[in-house]
Amino acid sequence: MRILVPTLLAAGLAASAAPAVHAQDNSLMVGVTRYTTDSKSNGISGVGVPPGADAETGDATTLLLVYERALTPRLSGQLVLGIPPRIEARATGSVAFLGDGVLSARNVSPTLIAKYYLADPSARWRPYLGAGINYTRFVDIRSTLADDVKMKDSTGWVLEAGVAYAIDPRWGLFGSVARLDVQSEVVAVGATVLTTKIDFRPVTYSFGAYYRF
Amino acid sequence: MKSLRSWLITAVAVAGLVACGGGDPYVPGSDGPAGAPTTKGAFSAVVSFGDSLSDIGTYKPATSLAGNGTPPFFGGKFTTNATTDPVSPGDDAPLWIDRVAGALGLVVTQAEIGFAGSSVKCPAASVPALATTCTAYAQGGARVTDPEGIGKAGGALTVPVKTQIANHLAAFGGFDADDLVVVWAGANDALVQFGVFAATAAQIQAQAAAGALTPDQANALLLDAQLQALGAMKQAAIELGGYIRSDILDKGARYVAVMNLPDIASTPFGQLVPASARPVLTALSENFNLWLRESLRDQPVQLLDMFAFYRELLADPTGFGFVDIVTPVCSAAAIEALTGGAVTDGSSLFCNATPGAPYNTLAAGADIDNWLFADGVHPTRGGHAVIAAQVLDELRAFGWID
Repeated sequence: MRILVPTLLAAGLAASAAPAVHAQDNSLMVGVTRYTTDSKSNGISGVGVPPGADAETGDATTLLLVYERALTPRLSGQLVLGIPPRIEARATGSVAFLGDGVLSARNVSPTLIAKYYLADPSARWRPYLGAGINYTRFVDIRSTLADDVKMKDSTGWVLEAGVAYAIDPRWGLFGSVARLDVQSEVVAVGATVLTTKIDFRPVTYSFGAYYRF
Repeated sequence: MKSLRSWLITAVAVAGLVACGGGDPYVPGSDGPAGAPTTKGAFSAVVSFGDSLSDIGTYKPATSLAGNGTPPFFGGKFTTNATTDPVSPGDDAPLWIDRVAGALGLVVTQAEIGFAGSSVKCPAASVPALATTCTAYAQGGARVTDPEGIGKAGGALTVPVKTQIANHLAAFGGFDADDLVVVWAGANDALVQFGVFAATAAQIQAQAAAGALTPDQANALLLDAQLQALGAMKQAAIELGGYIRSDILDKGARYVAVMNLPDIASTPFGQLVPASARPVLTALSENFNLWLRESLRDQPVQLLDMFAFYRELLADPTGFGFVDIVTPVCSAAAIEALTGGAVTDGSSLFCNATPGAPYNTLAAGADIDNWLFADGVHPTRGGHAVIAAQVLDELRAFGWID
């Protein structure tokens, strides 16, 4: 999927050679994101861990901030930032009795997306598709099982579909759905060493307002 | 193009953020020792630290036939003591360490012999030629650091490994580059920690049975008790690694072989543990081994994986010459009778396998060469023979011996 990004960038490069000049090249978008996960893991391994020990991650809601730069009338690039949501994991399987909070971390997750609008900038409704790269770093990691927990950074693809609605040439609303590839290896060191690989399989639902300038 | 350029700057900035991110988190225990010698040693002594698995006769006086600490002795090693000469028991039941020393053409004798408050250091020194052979420091019941070993209350010395090493430094001023140093310890820490866990677990289960705890609460408390025991094993392993680094390697030793713990859950003792608790026993060994390996990371020693070796043996007993790997050859009832009821746990320290001897305590039909265990946890003569063969194979593989 990562090939898509250079392809779109190349398309943008070719298009930007055209003499199209935009009144508003930049947008700032502010919104709310529901970060939902449908995690899969390879189970928790470690000394003394009963067979079938597992964990699954939960959902979180956070604030979204996006800077978008139009490259051509139809193509733009955007940098998606936000307040890192705290994703919590609860124990499942043979260790379900451990309950919530066995692991939690804030996902610092800057994302670069190339967006292609299916309508011109003058349209009131502008559906779009996007593809890009997500980088997730896990910070402020906590666990009820171990003092020292490390998580590997994740780099993966992201696919997005959404629609923008122009209230006036500057202000508008947007809504989007994105699927991200976010995976991490977890190493928890306490009395013993616990390891797992988590595929978060997140889907985000975002909506908010934008301002073009 | 200007717009594209600024966008690319952003892209490069984010790419930079990605690049400086963390790689794979380090998993403790994934790297082991490194840098041990690869050349043949001109060994002049075997120096052994540990517990009953390497104890070549510290507690002989406890097995006095007269019952007063004087020879002849009917036991003394934690194996199938068998001898034609009661004054020197164990000659027909060499431990792995006796066999390894013998293969190197060396003699090693007890660093200390005693029981119940009286002991003699380096008893072999009465023969001047043997004065420097008293380097078998291992004692039954000994732990890594805690002087309160198993059997201490009953009179065992249980000098911990920490002090065993200190005693060697005091007697010899350090290690010789030609010493073969072997360390095999931690099993008694595992047994003590398992005892603590089992007692706590019994309380928790009683409370759960009485309805004072929900099943989830009981499970959480059981896991906590297990983590406590695992934490204690981690501490013991890290302490042992520390002694090896600062008191052995830093004191001149070059050829240092460290043996890890086999899976105690597979011993006859482990077989008697309830199936639900057996994984805890396994975990205690595994956790000790993990942290021992971690604490010896990049240290110039060789680790001998006795955990893996025992697993191999269990998977193919006949391949190693065993027909029984779960039944102790020593009869607990016979030992109890021989000791006048003083020893009820069937400890092989008091087990004698001399054919026809009135103090023979073997179970009917038992064989000390093709059965693996003397008692709940200690190997027979045959068991020690395969351990010795394995150790010698490894020493050969290290390039330390021919």
